[in-house]
Order: sequence, then C-alpha cells, then structure tokens
Amino acid sequence: MRPEMLWIIVGMALVTAIPRFLPVAILSRFEFPEIFREWLSYIAPAVLAALVAVSVLAPNGTIVMSPDNLYIWAFIPTLVVAIYTRSPFYTLVTGIGVMALMYNFYTPHI
Amino acid sequence: MIIIRNELITGIKQAIPVILAYIPLGLAFGVLAHEAGLSVAEAALMSAMVFTGAGQYIAIGIIAAGGSMLTIIMANLLVNLRYFLFSASMVPHLKVLPTGIASALMLGLTDETYAVAAVHFKEKPATASYLAGLNISSYLSWVISSLVGASLGNIITNTEQLGLNFALAAMYTILLILVISEKKHLMVALVSVIVCLAVAYLFPATLSNLSNIIVASLVAATLGVIIKR
Repeated sequence: MRPEMLWIIVGMALVTAIPRFLPVAILSRFEFPEIFREWLSYIAPAVLAALVAVSVLAPNGTIVMSPDNLYIWAFIPTLVVAIYTRSPFYTLVTGIGVMALMYNFYTPHI
Repeated sequence: MIIIRNELITGIKQAIPVILAYIPLGLAFGVLAHEAGLSVAEAALMSAMVFTGAGQYIAIGIIAAGGSMLTIIMANLLVNLRYFLFSASMVPHLKVLPTGIASALMLGLTDETYAVAAVHFKEKPATASYLAGLNISSYLSWVISSLVGASLGNIITNTEQLGLNFALAAMYTILLILVISEKKHLMVALVSVIVCLAVAYLFPATLSNLSNIIVASLVAATLGVIIKR
C-alpha cells in the first residue's frame, strides 16, 4: 500500500462520510417547517434526473448530443423498460445488454 | 425479535436490485482501478472505506490522468454534496430512531440505497433493522465485487465490450422512475435536466466534478416549491 494512496483514501472517506451522517446527527432534534419538508421531497427526483442526463449525454465528461453517442440509443429501451416494469433488475439487464450489442455490432461509437 | 428479523429480511430483499447493479459497477470499478495502477488491496480498501460509485470513478479518472490528491478530494467533496441533501431529506423519517444509530446507518447512504429507502418510507415507518439489512448487504456487494474486479483486472481488459459502462446510467434511470410518484416530481425532474445541461454547456468544467448537478437540484427543488404557490 503506497502511503499517498492511503491518504487519498482517508481524505475521500472523510468527505464522503461527513455529508452522509451530519444532517441526521444534527437536524434530528429540530422539527422542519412544512415548506422545507416539501423542498426536501423534490431533492431525490431532481438529483436523479440530473444524474441520468449527465450519465447519458456526457458519458465521458463532455456533452455529446449526436447519433454517435451510443448512450442515447441505449437509454431509449432502458427508459421504456424502467417505466413499464418498474424493475431495477430488468432495467439493468436491458441497458447493459443493449449497450454490449451496440458496442460489438455498431461501429461509430464515442 | 420476529419484527426485527422481518424488517432485516425486508431490507435485504429490497437490496437485491441494488446488489445486482453494484456487482457490474463494482467489477468495472475494480478493473478500471487496476488499469489506473492501483493494487488489489488499494482498490478494495477504497471501496471499503469510501463506498461511493461516482466519487470513486472520479478518483480513478483523476489518478489515471496524473492529477493531484487535492483535486481528488475536492472533486469528491463537491460530488458528495448531494449526500447532505439526501441525508437531510431522511431526517423526518428517521426521527423515530435513536440519533446515534440513525447517524451510523447513514454511513451506508448512496444514491441507490437512498432511493430504495425513500420509496419504502413513503409507505412504511423507518426501522434500524430495515436500514441495516438494506445498507449493509449493498455495502458488502460493492466491496466484494470491487475486490473481484481488481483481481480480475488482468483478464478483463475492455469493460465497454460487456456493456458494463452503461450500468450506472441504467441504475439512475430506474431509480428516477421509482421516485417519481406525482406530476410535480416529473416537472422538477425536467427542470433539473434543463438546468444541469445549461450549466454544463456554459461552464464545461462543472462536468468534471458534477457541481452542475448540485446547482440543478437546488434550482429545480426551489422552483418546485415556488410554482405551487
């Protein structure tokens, strides 16, 4: 184990653990106003929608909105399966399967 | 005792789709870590101590590109800001639990365990054993698959060929579908996508640490509250 790598891991562990437990550790004593609870209820759809957009449209760190971006093509059947089955398992199998097929049989990928 | 056991089993059962996502994601992480020059022990320790998909992938990318320790930690700090929001939104549900136990269980909070628990808590009250079942089994699958991936790093040379690079996007897609339970959520989601892409387009650097996602979420959730009134 390289010492530098150990420090990277310890640093990452700290900046990941603190935002996870701190709000629950501190805020549990307070009663949130209704409007703040409503705001919090929108966080999950907002964050997940943004994560979907970035992981599909900018898979390699830059936005690529063109037919060459295989992620867009893989996303379409994945979304359809997600909506109709509501099953994480079938959704993942579809996404990974379609991506593997396209990668191996359809050339102009990014 | 029976209730505790049932809750634990419910948590583990609901972790199954998360585990199915973590296996390819963890394997891919292990392989990429190997490619970036990490030893098996380093890759496994990172997964065991950090347990975060996006942050670890970003770290590997920066290491592979020869970036500094500070860049890695700053990028992780930014990308993990969403956990503040997730954790805070769990507070109303977790009030029934002792604060110490609830805080400790939150160490297992990820995008995926959060989304599963958030959907569950809409119907059922929170219990420590449910969260333990969900979070600990998800955690173990992540650590073990990272370890296996790093060990197989020599054999698996192209994760793209296996379609594994799409696993994360597919996971986010189904989680989004599961958390949208009313029209308002759909509107918030669309606003978030538009803001997130606009910020990324205007400031491409935000894509490297995903800070555009934080901005988009804050704007979209706030608009969600305002527009109703």
